[in-house]
Amino acid sequence: MPPGALPMLILRVLQSGSLHGYAIAQRIHILSSEVIAVEEGLLYPTLQKMLLKGWVTADWGTSETNRKVRFYRLTLQGRAQLKAEMASYDRATQAIQDILRTA
Amino acid sequence: MGELWRRISYLFNRRRLDSELASDMEFHREMAAREGRNNFGNTLLMRERSREAWGWTWLDRLLQDLHYGARILVRSPGFTIMAILVLGIGIGVNVAAFSFFDMVALKPLPVRDAAAIVRLERRSLDSYTSEMAYPSFAFYRDHARTLSTAMAVLGVPPMQINDDLQPTSASFVTPNYFAELGTPAAYGRLFTPALDSSPASQPSVILSYGLWQHRFSSDPSIIGRTIYIGKRPATVIGILPYDFASLGGQNPAFWLPIAQQPYFIQGSKVLTDWKDSSVRMWGRLAPRVSDKAAEQELRALTRQLKKQHPEAVWDNNEYLQLSPGGHLQVMQPRMYQAAALVAVLTLLILAVSCANLGGLMLARAVAREREMGIRIAIGAGHARIFRQLFTESLMLASLGSIAGLALGYVVMRVLLSFPDTPRWLSAMPDWRVLLFAAVLTFLAATFFGLAPALQIARQRQHKTIVRQLLVAAQVAASCVLLIVAALLVRATQHVIYTDPGFGYEQLISIDPQLGKHGYSPEAARAYLQQMQTRLHAVPGISSVSLVRLPPMGHTISNSSVQINGRDVTLYPNWVESGFFATMGIPLKTGRTFLPGEKHAVIVSESFARQQWPGLNPLGKQIGEGATKDTVVGVAGDAHINALNDDDAAEQYWPAQPDDMPGMVVVARAAGEPGSFTPAVKSISESLDSKALPEIRQIKLLYRENVSRIEMIATAVSAIGIVAVTMAGIGLIGLVAFTVSQRTKEIAIRIALGAKPVAVLSAVLRQFSWPVILGLLLGTTAAAVGSRLLRVVLYGVSNLDPIGYAAALVVLSAIVAVAALLPARRALRLDVARTLHYD
Repeated sequence: MPPGALPMLILRVLQSGSLHGYAIAQRIHILSSEVIAVEEGLLYPTLQKMLLKGWVTADWGTSETNRKVRFYRLTLQGRAQLKAEMASYDRATQAIQDILRTA
Repeated sequence: MGELWRRISYLFNRRRLDSELASDMEFHREMAAREGRNNFGNTLLMRERSREAWGWTWLDRLLQDLHYGARILVRSPGFTIMAILVLGIGIGVNVAAFSFFDMVALKPLPVRDAAAIVRLERRSLDSYTSEMAYPSFAFYRDHARTLSTAMAVLGVPPMQINDDLQPTSASFVTPNYFAELGTPAAYGRLFTPALDSSPASQPSVILSYGLWQHRFSSDPSIIGRTIYIGKRPATVIGILPYDFASLGGQNPAFWLPIAQQPYFIQGSKVLTDWKDSSVRMWGRLAPRVSDKAAEQELRALTRQLKKQHPEAVWDNNEYLQLSPGGHLQVMQPRMYQAAALVAVLTLLILAVSCANLGGLMLARAVAREREMGIRIAIGAGHARIFRQLFTESLMLASLGSIAGLALGYVVMRVLLSFPDTPRWLSAMPDWRVLLFAAVLTFLAATFFGLAPALQIARQRQHKTIVRQLLVAAQVAASCVLLIVAALLVRATQHVIYTDPGFGYEQLISIDPQLGKHGYSPEAARAYLQQMQTRLHAVPGISSVSLVRLPPMGHTISNSSVQINGRDVTLYPNWVESGFFATMGIPLKTGRTFLPGEKHAVIVSESFARQQWPGLNPLGKQIGEGATKDTVVGVAGDAHINALNDDDAAEQYWPAQPDDMPGMVVVARAAGEPGSFTPAVKSISESLDSKALPEIRQIKLLYRENVSRIEMIATAVSAIGIVAVTMAGIGLIGLVAFTVSQRTKEIAIRIALGAKPVAVLSAVLRQFSWPVILGLLLGTTAAAVGSRLLRVVLYGVSNLDPIGYAAALVVLSAIVAVAALLPARRALRLDVARTLHYD
């Protein structure tokens, strides 16, 4: 996984609704056909940074195991950030692929 | 809510957020365990990494470091107290010196808009005076547009109140003075331009709070009453407040309106005479006018003035110099020089104390070796350890700084307890002093803490080179301080034990100030003639004469010239023929002036020696232009207006009839000179009751001068001794430490039969070259730097061998004792025990 991609992935999986930390890791793992495993040691520092940036907020909720846990939710600012990051990511991959194809 | 804001809120909710994070991770681990994965890493480490994202880790670490540092310092109270004392002295001396400078030159006076107040002084290429003629002042005041207002103060000799025996200090002032400064009256009213600017208004006087308290027993009903100032009735109209702040540190006991000066000093032409420089001028810059613009406009006005009144301006280069006036003192370049000198000396003391403490820290580092070893073993990086140690140093420096501020406060309290100190001054440090102390704290911590911290963090505490350099620095700095102190002590001795060249002990000077009372040369001549005759008749007075510039007088005239490549300060004077006999100045060759003689000059011995080495000075000619003056005599060196300045040389000219209004009477009186005051007073009263002479006893002035020099020498010596003692204590610590570090080696040497001398030299060898290097560096620095001191080293060369030798002997003795005392311990080692131990 390229560095800096994790925030974008987290933002993307949160787009459809709020999730707790473990679910975020799980969702990314499953959606990537079990290619990408998000290390816990990376996930929580990244989430802290995103909280600080104001892209996500955390609210208390109840997990499927009936435990009090924090659910991360996208903010308006987070949505805008996701849009921006996806656009620039698309541009970059397009450019890379162009080079790979024609060079 | 911005990111910064969120970050700050994180700071305050750290505890809650941290537990939330912990709960998140715990949940994560539970879920992972459910799915059979148990490889969740080090939770604590991960939590710390996550917390790092909040950006407050540095604060946590700082608190940790502070907490840990405090514990370390508390655990070794001996070291801590020692360090605080050493630093407290080093920083305190600097804080005291800076507080004084701040008080004199930086702190704005508590007056209205102090920043806009400027002092105006006449300056030319080679002339300078702090006073100007009143008409010139009025000219500038009326024409300058860059000044919104102008004030003048006319200082006069003390005047008599009612029938007091002791005269009281007084000043005349323009009526706008107090209003411009925004001073309210404590009682009554102060001068206002509307009521007090005319010579015809009712004569009035304003009392200072102190005078009102002491002379008039704080009686408020004094307002409106009539008192006599120099025998002239005047109405007391007001009392100045207790904490009145005056410009230029001028605090006379009472104030009179300048317009009434001719009324109080009868016959005076000060207000109309374009040539009599007598008032100090102050101004307030108009809004949005720069110093430069004002100076430019005033320059143009000076040229205009020269056209209208050529006698009021020296030459085409004359201009008015503007300097900030809203401080206690108007700083002159010479004062800045003195301040720089003091700053160098006090910083040297700080250097000694820092080098001293640095050595102690290094020695301690070896004792803390185990602790550091453990910390590095469990994963502390160099940077982390360095930071921890530097935090400790900063804590020590801050504590030292607090002690230093206390010391500075005490010094200022003592200084401010002198009489005549303006009441508004306070010893409390202001923000400038606090900022200065903070900067010093950081510098000191860097200086004494950085090198040890670096060495320790890199586990190099056994290297001796840094320790040796610190010893060299200490020795060098204390060497400079001791030499300077020794030179000053020598100068004091010179002043005390050297014959000043004239018999100061039985002299009185009587200055009737005939010129200020409008006397013509003829009238003055008659007055002085009478005065002399009557004085002669007083029993005990053996000799009377006239001189224009009396010993230690208010006015000094000199000029610097080069004679055969040497700088000489020439002091001209105008005297009557009997002057030398009255003053007790011997005539070496030739004769004194004949009555009515012209174009003759008597020079001092040292002038003759330098100007015409090996030749007979009699008959030589002095002077430029057509009229030359012939040397008729050579008098002994008597620096009557430059006590003990060996670069001074005197030239005496015969007083001419036109000089008479400015002449001062000197009299030699057998017995206690103070006892002649009443007799002199009654003579002057009968001659002219308006002209009240100022009677001064030369002996007292001389003693005052000596005690001032003594005080400076004592202060510097005390500072030098403190520095040397600190250096000595530091060295004792270092040598003791070296001995304890090398006990095993020493024990083996002794066991193998080494002689005591060999053992001592093994211990002390590592200190010998730093001490020698320090002595050399210090002596060189002192030899080069002490040229700055020449101004205060009257009569002593700045390379005075006795001074240097004394300083070096004292320093070497202290260093030797400091090194040998602890080194002796090496000889008394219990060899068997030491070698059996581990």
